[in-house]
Amino acid sequence: MRMMRTKIKKRNSLILLLGLLFFLSCGTGEHVRLRIEMPRKAPINLGDFEEIAITNFLVKEEAKDFDLNKELTEYFAVEFGQKVKNKISSTEVALQNEEVFQDITFWQKVSPDKKGTLLFTGSLEYTEEVRKAIKSASKRRFEEPFPEESRIEERRFYSLSLHLYLIDAQSGDALYKRTFKESKAYKNPNQTSYFAFYDMMLNVRDKLFRQILGEEQIQERYLIK
Amino acid sequence: MDKKAIFFLLLLPLFMLFTRCAPPLPKSQLHFGILAAQRDLWDEAIFRWKKAAQLEPDSSSAHNNLAVAYEKKGLWEEAGKEYEIALELKPKNEYIQANYEKFKQRMEEGNKDEDDANKDKKKK
Repeated sequence: MRMMRTKIKKRNSLILLLGLLFFLSCGTGEHVRLRIEMPRKAPINLGDFEEIAITNFLVKEEAKDFDLNKELTEYFAVEFGQKVKNKISSTEVALQNEEVFQDITFWQKVSPDKKGTLLFTGSLEYTEEVRKAIKSASKRRFEEPFPEESRIEERRFYSLSLHLYLIDAQSGDALYKRTFKESKAYKNPNQTSYFAFYDMMLNVRDKLFRQILGEEQIQERYLIK
Repeated sequence: MDKKAIFFLLLLPLFMLFTRCAPPLPKSQLHFGILAAQRDLWDEAIFRWKKAAQLEPDSSSAHNNLAVAYEKKGLWEEAGKEYEIALELKPKNEYIQANYEKFKQRMEEGNKDEDDANKDKKKK
C-alpha cells in the first residue's frame, strides 16, 4: 500500500515537472510595458540665440504691498540664469497695451544692434480676494457638552494670469507665447500676497521651462516581442 | 509509466526549448533590442531593431519598437514614420495604436506653441 502511494506521488510530481517545462519552453508574453523618460519637442531652440534679454512686464493690476514688475524680472533672471547657457540681460521697454506684443516693428526697434537676442516679455494680472461664508454647525446625533456654533469663515483667494512671450529681437516675431493661469486659496487670514505670488510662480516656472527646454517626462510605451 | 517513456517525455520540452521554441534570427534581434532598451541602452536597441526590420521588413514589432526608440532620442520625424509603417502592417494592434496616440498627443502639445506663433505671423 505504501509503495503504491509513493509511486503515485512520484508520477504526479513528474507530470507537474513536465507541465512546467512545457510552459517554460514556449511561454512568452506579447509585449513589454516600459516607463521611459521621454524628451518633449521644444517649440524653440534656445541654442540659436546668444542672449536672452528680460524686459519689464505690462502690469494690468498692481499688487498692494510689493513691486510686481521688479519681483518678476528678478525672478526670471535668476531662473533663466540657472537653467540655460545663454547670456542673460535686462532691458527697459515702454509697454502701453497688450497689442504691442503683436507689433513686429516695435520689437525690431527695441534692440536693433543686437543680433541673436531673444526678448522675454509679457503681461500679468494679479488679484487678491477675500471670500466669506457662513459655516453651519454640523448636526450630531448625540448631545455634546460644547456644541459647535455656526460661524463666518474666511478664505483668501489669489489669482495670477501671466502672458509670456519669447520674441526674436531681429525679426520681431513671437516665437513662443503662452498664457499661464494660477490660483490659490489660503485659510490663514495672515497669509501675505507676496507669499502667494511666489507659491504660484513655482508652478509657472515648472510649466514654462518644461515647455521651452523640452524637459523629459515619464511616459509609458509598449515594446512588442 | 515506462522509464524510457518518461525519459523521452522529459527530453522533449528540453529539445523544444533549445530548438523549436528558440526564436529565429529577426525575433532574437527584437528580443535583444528589448533587453537593451530595458537597460537604457537605446543606441544598441536601435541597432538591433533596425537589423530585425531589415531581416523581416513586414515586422510591425520591429517598426513599433524603433519608433519608441526614436521618440526617446528626440527624433520626431523618424518616430512618426516608423509608427505609421507599424500601423500599416498591423492596423488593429492595440499596443501600436496606444503608442501612436500618446506620441501624437505629445507632438500636438509641442506644436501648439509653434502654431500660435505662426498664426500671429499670418495675421500680420
